[in-house]
Amino acid sequence: MEENPNPVYKDQRYGQSKELLYSYDADGQFHKNVGFHGEPDRIILQQAWDHFDERIADARQRVLAGKASPIVYYMEKFLADPLNLSMMAGISIWRVKWHLRPGAFKRLNEKTLKKYADAFNITVAQLKKVE
Amino acid sequence: MVKLEFEHRQAGHCESGVTRNLLNYHHFKISEPMAFGIGAGLFFSYLPFLKMQHAPTTSFRVWPGQVFDRATKELGVKTAVHTFRNPKDSMDKLNAVLDQGYPVGLQVGTFHLPFFPPEYRMHYNMHNMIAYGHDNGTYYISDTLMENLVEINYEDLMRVRFAKGAFAPQGRMYYPTFVPKDIDIKPAIIKGIRKTANNMVGIPFPLIGAKGIRYLAGRMRKWEKNLGPEKASYYLGQVLRMEEEVGTAGAGFRFIYGAFLEEASTALNQPWLKELSIEMGETANKWREFSYLGSRNCKKRGKADQSYNFLADMLIEIAGREEKIFRKLAKIK
Repeated sequence: MEENPNPVYKDQRYGQSKELLYSYDADGQFHKNVGFHGEPDRIILQQAWDHFDERIADARQRVLAGKASPIVYYMEKFLADPLNLSMMAGISIWRVKWHLRPGAFKRLNEKTLKKYADAFNITVAQLKKVE
Repeated sequence: MVKLEFEHRQAGHCESGVTRNLLNYHHFKISEPMAFGIGAGLFFSYLPFLKMQHAPTTSFRVWPGQVFDRATKELGVKTAVHTFRNPKDSMDKLNAVLDQGYPVGLQVGTFHLPFFPPEYRMHYNMHNMIAYGHDNGTYYISDTLMENLVEINYEDLMRVRFAKGAFAPQGRMYYPTFVPKDIDIKPAIIKGIRKTANNMVGIPFPLIGAKGIRYLAGRMRKWEKNLGPEKASYYLGQVLRMEEEVGTAGAGFRFIYGAFLEEASTALNQPWLKELSIEMGETANKWREFSYLGSRNCKKRGKADQSYNFLADMLIEIAGREEKIFRKLAKIK
């Protein structure tokens, strides 16, 4: 619990909102305070974002090297996993996992590609290539 | 166009805050801890087979929607709850209810929510907020997480109400339709406490309640050996994120529950509840210490600052304390 927004985050947009937090203090009373998250909270949030960024970068490299289908990259960028993605696109999880291979992706028909593109909120042409 | 006179108040937990704000609008004064306690919101479960963001799920709260449902049921408040298949229908219904003069609670997904703080933008479909007016495609929103009132446009609101994935909200909307004049909250408090005590110590299943905390401690001892230091620290980070991150008001709701016990002891005139609220506060501070020490392990990219055995021992102690508290609470009359 702190008074000022703190630049522990690597992204400047993070940590700008004040929240209401409860505490139990030495006087034996529960208190409500409005303030910014303390340092431990910022560390664990930053850890999650580091983890995501790493996975996105790794997925991008694998896609560019031709070892994975572009769906892998967009899935990681969307912070999803195969289970999540299967629910969002309306495709069974086994098929989603199969489509993560580059060979299977090449043989996909327009209809399925459209489903994935809609789930990621992009066009089919964007889905086919990774920038 | 409608814009109701709605008093926005920030809250620690989104759902109990929404419950409180909705009941306050209907002239029934209740505090946030009270709504949380009567709704029996406190819980613990560790589900290693269900992965969320690539790590096992830890939950410190009950199923989404239960706090509002239970609290209003126990208080004798009549409510209306709707879910939809067609997004257009849900928006028409929302407009109609707002025109009638009821503020409406909405379950939404946070990933596409435009005003949400960017550090929390993950796939989380159990967030709650209140719509209190609309004007030509703009909706006026009171989100208990935010300091101020916010606005959202038609398309964005429709998308977040129909977010897909686990726990999809399906446009769920809920609002109290009739609040009785005189409500006796005493039986509701007792029922709420009994339900929570049963959830924490009464269910014979190893992943739930105080047993669940012990199970997590046992697993934690093996993380570093089985998963390697980096993954172990990410798993630990996931537990801490569920405990401390947005919407728990600190220490996995334990602070709110302590405040509830304190209020309950005055409302029921039972001084022993006050003693338990002090114990609850101390336990909450233990959780806080756990997350403080644990977060150091997350900082150094895998290099453990505190050993996982030490952290697990802390959890065992917390589990013992909580079991003691809830065994006593189960005997409430």
